[in-house]
Amino acid sequence: MNTIEVNHISKSFGPQKVLNQVSFDVKPGEIFGLLGPNGAGKTTCIRIVLDIFKPDSGSIKIFNSSMSEEKKNLIGYLPEERGLYQDINLENCLTYLASLKGLSDAESHKRINDYLVRFNLDEHKKKKVKELSKGMQQKAQLITTLVHDPKLIIIDEPFSALDPVNTQMVKDILREQRALGKTIVMCTHQMHQVEELCDRLVLINQGESMLYGTLNDVRKKYAGHAIHLRTEDQIPNNLPGVKEVKRLENHHLYQVELMPNVSTQDFLKTLVDANINIDQFEIATPTLDEIFIQVVTESGMKYE
Amino acid sequence: MNKTWIVIKHEYLKHVRKKRFILALLSLPLFVLLLVGIGFLGVIFQYDDTPIGYIDQIGLTDNSTEYQTEAPLGFMKPIEFIRYKNESEAASALEENKVQAYYVVDNNFIESKEIRVFANEAPDSSLNSDFFTFIKLNVLNELPKDLSNRLMEGASFEIITTAAEKSTRENDILVFILPFLAGFLFIMAVNISAGYLLQSVVEEKENRTMEIMVTSLSPTQLMTAKVIGNLSVGLTQLVVWIVFGIIGIAALFRLFPDLQSTRIDFSFLLLTILVFIPAFVMVAAMMAALGATTTEAREAQQIAGIFTLPMVLPYWFMGVLIGKPNSPLSIFFSLFPFTAPVAMPLRAALSSIPVWQISLTIALLFLFAIIALWIAGRAFRLGMLRYGKKLSLRDILTQRP
Repeated sequence: MNTIEVNHISKSFGPQKVLNQVSFDVKPGEIFGLLGPNGAGKTTCIRIVLDIFKPDSGSIKIFNSSMSEEKKNLIGYLPEERGLYQDINLENCLTYLASLKGLSDAESHKRINDYLVRFNLDEHKKKKVKELSKGMQQKAQLITTLVHDPKLIIIDEPFSALDPVNTQMVKDILREQRALGKTIVMCTHQMHQVEELCDRLVLINQGESMLYGTLNDVRKKYAGHAIHLRTEDQIPNNLPGVKEVKRLENHHLYQVELMPNVSTQDFLKTLVDANINIDQFEIATPTLDEIFIQVVTESGMKYE
Repeated sequence: MNKTWIVIKHEYLKHVRKKRFILALLSLPLFVLLLVGIGFLGVIFQYDDTPIGYIDQIGLTDNSTEYQTEAPLGFMKPIEFIRYKNESEAASALEENKVQAYYVVDNNFIESKEIRVFANEAPDSSLNSDFFTFIKLNVLNELPKDLSNRLMEGASFEIITTAAEKSTRENDILVFILPFLAGFLFIMAVNISAGYLLQSVVEEKENRTMEIMVTSLSPTQLMTAKVIGNLSVGLTQLVVWIVFGIIGIAALFRLFPDLQSTRIDFSFLLLTILVFIPAFVMVAAMMAALGATTTEAREAQQIAGIFTLPMVLPYWFMGVLIGKPNSPLSIFFSLFPFTAPVAMPLRAALSSIPVWQISLTIALLFLFAIIALWIAGRAFRLGMLRYGKKLSLRDILTQRP
């Protein structure tokens, strides 16, 4: 049973088509990355999953059926538009929002205080929310997302206002939640965070799904037929099977594009035969960042 | 606990606990108390309980009856009347401040109708009427007691016409005051509650909390809770004011016992309630819709004023409504949903309204209330996540949430 099933959803706002036939599944217990550039339709997609918007066509299943009021207590949502009641004190604000997720007063009081201590917000709990810094408010919002111990956590740009220390803390929390068997959907365009955390991902651009699969599948798909080679020796120009040699950031690292009919194994043999001292030899897989830019610029050109 | 109830409680307590609310709550009664207090102080300082002297040359008061003026406040000493034989005696009493003034009824009073008053300072005009009452009482003294009392108090005229106009006791002030006050209080309550509601919906947008809310409970639950919670705040304010009002009226009754004969009609109350409830919901729903479509509290409040305008319209045409409660304009005002809450009770108090008009008014109000709720619901779903973008009426009617 998948936690979320998105089947061919489309959505337009007036003349603007925001989502077009997007499909993906989120499996229980994984961290799923929902990626895309600004304005790709990520947030709209999340809002449709959460039944805030209705799709024009297509269907959503969440915990194996359509959304219901009872299921809202099983979901923790950190919206992109961060929002807390600014005019009341932090503790009251968190207690109120927790009670709306079905927590009793005593239970929410205990859990909120645990989280406030953990997030170093304990001494600020009697302050009005508007007196807190942006980072503190974001941490407070994260408490609201997690306090009712949801089975499904949906977070939109979780690291946007955080410093490196807090970023690390949030990452730890996300890993910890995964270890507890929670399903996490993370919406972001910070690719290195995705590489660190996500098990599977979908990449949306201009309302269409461009890439979908596990992190490794996606990487492999975009891996060219190339080698990263580090050597202090000179690489001869006429090595067999080589299409192109590019010098990378320093003088000793090269990217070697191979002919389609030459395997990496053959090329290694060629290097050994040519008596070249090898410091490093690896298949050149592109970073997610590179894949992202490649996909987005390619599809962008298609539209223009 | 039910989530709707949690939101109602939160919305209600949020306002009620604020200093601003408590100040607003107490300001009106305090203001009224202040006015009443100043009034009392004025009476206390103006009142002079020194006796009044008089010289009666015709002998109207030869069989003098016991009569003392009624003091304006219970604890004060009533004014006594002292008869003097001649003017010099009275003048010396005035000089010694034994009397505050003396009246001279001359021999030719019946023809000239003149009574001379001598005083160190011009006396209060009520003193003159007190003296004349005293004279009348003495003259009527020989008639049977109840007859003389009736003649002194005057009569109440009940008007019964052959036209549809309702029979009205002419001097029943409350017949006019009650619907007038009811309408006034209604407008106050609507404005206060609607103001809170509007603020609360816009705040949700300004704080960007809408997404958190609608992923915790349904938009319908949220809107219902907001409407009920904020209307309750307005009602609390109203009830407190009404309680003070009743205390004030009770005090009024003590001062003017004549008013006590007024009866409050049960069917009138029922009609008022039937008109007020849907009107209340209608205006509240419109405010909620307005809050959902605009982006800033200030802007929303400016537009909100437009809703108040038609509600107070009947007050501008008060003359027509009271003078001709069955004229076409009066009928229109009592049918049109925005003016009905003020116009309908007023007409009902002054005239018998055909059943079809009452039914039509109430039906129209309920219809408008339902339409307003429907629009509010759509505006809420469509507008809640539009930050910094306005929603037009066309969007509300045509777009899919």
